[in-house]
Amino acid sequence: MRFTKSLWFAGISAALLLLLAATAASATKRPRYGGTLRVELLTSSVSLDPREWKSGSLSAREDEKLAALVYDRLVTLDDYGRFQPALAIEWSHDAATKNWQFKLRPGVMFSDGSLLTAADVVASLQSLLPAGLQLTATEAGISIHSPHPIPDLLEQLASGRHFVFRALPDDTLLGTGPFYVAEISPAAPYEANPTAIKPERLKFRANEQCWAGRPFLDAIEFTLGEPPLRQLFDLQMGRADIVEVAPDLVRKARQDNLRVWSSAPNTLLALRFDEAQAASADDHLREALALSMDRDTMANVLLQKQAEPAPALLPDWLSGYAFLFESPMNLERAKEIRASLPANEAGGTEPLRLRVDAGGDLMKLLGERVAVNARQANLSVQVVTHSTSAGGGATAVSPANPPIGVHLFAWHYDSLSPRAELEALVNQLHLEQAAESAQTLADPEQRYAEERRILEDRRVLPLVLLPEYAGIAAPVRNWMPARWGEWRLGDVWLEKGESTPTAPNSGASPDNSAAPHGKGVHP
Amino acid sequence: MPADSNPLDDAARQLADRIAAIPNLHGPLRLEFHADANLAADSSWQDTLRQELEKHHLTITEEPSAPLLRVGAVETPTQLVLTASARIGDRDDVRIVAVTRAAFTAPALAVAPVRIARQLVYETSDRILDASALGNAAEGGLAVLLYRNEDLVALRLDSSGAVKQTVFLTAASLHASRDPRGELTDKGATAEVLLPGKLCEFTWAAGAEPRCRAKKTEWRTTTVLTSPCDSSDWKLEARGDDWSSADLLQIVPDAAARSGSAALFNEFPGPILSINGERDPGSALIVARNLHTGNYEIYKITLVCGN
Repeated sequence: MRFTKSLWFAGISAALLLLLAATAASATKRPRYGGTLRVELLTSSVSLDPREWKSGSLSAREDEKLAALVYDRLVTLDDYGRFQPALAIEWSHDAATKNWQFKLRPGVMFSDGSLLTAADVVASLQSLLPAGLQLTATEAGISIHSPHPIPDLLEQLASGRHFVFRALPDDTLLGTGPFYVAEISPAAPYEANPTAIKPERLKFRANEQCWAGRPFLDAIEFTLGEPPLRQLFDLQMGRADIVEVAPDLVRKARQDNLRVWSSAPNTLLALRFDEAQAASADDHLREALALSMDRDTMANVLLQKQAEPAPALLPDWLSGYAFLFESPMNLERAKEIRASLPANEAGGTEPLRLRVDAGGDLMKLLGERVAVNARQANLSVQVVTHSTSAGGGATAVSPANPPIGVHLFAWHYDSLSPRAELEALVNQLHLEQAAESAQTLADPEQRYAEERRILEDRRVLPLVLLPEYAGIAAPVRNWMPARWGEWRLGDVWLEKGESTPTAPNSGASPDNSAAPHGKGVHP
Repeated sequence: MPADSNPLDDAARQLADRIAAIPNLHGPLRLEFHADANLAADSSWQDTLRQELEKHHLTITEEPSAPLLRVGAVETPTQLVLTASARIGDRDDVRIVAVTRAAFTAPALAVAPVRIARQLVYETSDRILDASALGNAAEGGLAVLLYRNEDLVALRLDSSGAVKQTVFLTAASLHASRDPRGELTDKGATAEVLLPGKLCEFTWAAGAEPRCRAKKTEWRTTTVLTSPCDSSDWKLEARGDDWSSADLLQIVPDAAARSGSAALFNEFPGPILSINGERDPGSALIVARNLHTGNYEIYKITLVCGN
């Protein structure tokens, strides 16, 4: 807090005295309560159970958006780098950052009206935090003990899956967040036209008793499985308020004067070598493929300048040092290396098989582009589209399923801790760990050195970084998402609500009798 | 260390020390900066780095053949990361210094001389709903209504900004609300807080319980200031409908006959949340959120004659 006495004559006012008809709106407008926000997503299924999410997966990105409506975290991070109290109102740690104490906010209620307890916090976070951390309920809150320093514990707790919930005996999860799940309508054929499928819908209603105040919106309705063009059309026609915008539609959306938001680039598209195909074990082959990749064309032409070349595993906005890495294309050198390789390595009858592990047309196109780039260096790459999880799971090798040599995968950055993110990537991709312990990665210089070592090993080749895009309808107000992609819909309001505004602090409890709360949803 | 140093300059000094300790690094060096837009705009840390390197006898040159020292400054969600990379032999030697972003104070906004005097009188990271001049306005104190850790709190500040009294209004069973509407009126020993559908009264004296009752809310009407130059009236208006963007305070001649005449504009570093001109016809208190720092700020606006 500061008190400033210095008098300064302010204003930008280009001229300060401008001739203007006094047509300005009345004094400060206020937010309105009420209305249903309609959101459309491409994903056809979501899970509101953070215990089920897979690190780095694109599905976890969507799951987290919906879960943030229902659950809270112990702390949050604001746009200014400050940790803010959420379910914890105070925290402290010892000098070694091995022992942390969190004081819980008193009187916080779950959406069914029951009180949040320290035992709930311990039970939920124990299942989500890395093994080895010991969580204990204390008189005023919880303590977390780690055998090694965890200076980035707050970054971890403020992001990713680290929500607090209560698991009921039937595995239903209760949350304390600004909304609760009121209705789930699974995808089903239309009665009038059984050949067409009605998409799945989830309806969230305002939690009147939310500790942070009732949200402005009465409800949020998510429609899942809507294709990108349909979403854009619905936004233009006023049938949706927030839609996802595919990177190849961003330009069109902007040309149509739609309001388009973009996050920091929070998804990495990269190649991972798989020694199931023996050629991938050859370091020279990996180097030749790396040198043939034209990342600029991928980002600027294929992805229409809506992506950026990725020189590193972690983006600059998360690590702060990614600009030090370079991944220049050098076709001549790639050809030289290729010439020194056996003819049947990525050539002749034995092409290097590339599997596209993430769904979507863009990923297929990117896979084709990788093959084209490789061909320019006389490397034969065959694209096999076979959708599976990020990182790629093992597939039985058979004549119908020949061994795969390289995977094209998508990785979503879901932690605000660069150490945790790098560690998750290394684990998920089964990359060889450096001799140093993972804890040393908390030091940025050692983290940089480890990332350089992984990149020089070339078992993973970053290609492009993709931001997340959303189209926002004009009536949506106070849309202030975090640059790392958190939507923060609890503070959004609609200029023209659809339903009768509900008075805040009315004391009315939501009717939870039929609410399934935060149950993991898997249609 | 200079008294007015900021964390970014301090980090630049630390980085210079670490660069100077790189074995076999000799000047003169050619510097290449890579910085986020926010940090590129403030070149003071770059100047500090140059000066500190010179102190370590690492001179800086523009000569293209000189060894390159790449220096980066990037804002991550929680840190400002300063990085330096020098090529020594066949490897890059990298040094990184990270400082907590929360400790970093954004550079002051540019100041332009205008006919509106604007004084920043108070700022805090707590969410301010309203500010009111104290009854004894001559002494320059303030009453402030804010949310602190989701508790509704009224503060009484003296003219130096020191908190003299704190009253927690949660005792009156007021739940936290995302609604930014709330008005505080100081009445000497007591004060009133107007919230949607409620009026609460309390005494500043310690131990007294606030009393609330239902009341149809009638918010303040448009604030009008009187010019000290010709006693003309000027309305204060702000858009205030989008908290994600900077707001423009318009000071518009009040009389309909003068609707076509000059208006004054004053840009704020974020949305304007409250305008209160009750106490003094010549000045008003404005609550705004600074989108550069995330803090809530109270400004005193006064109309002044001439330049």
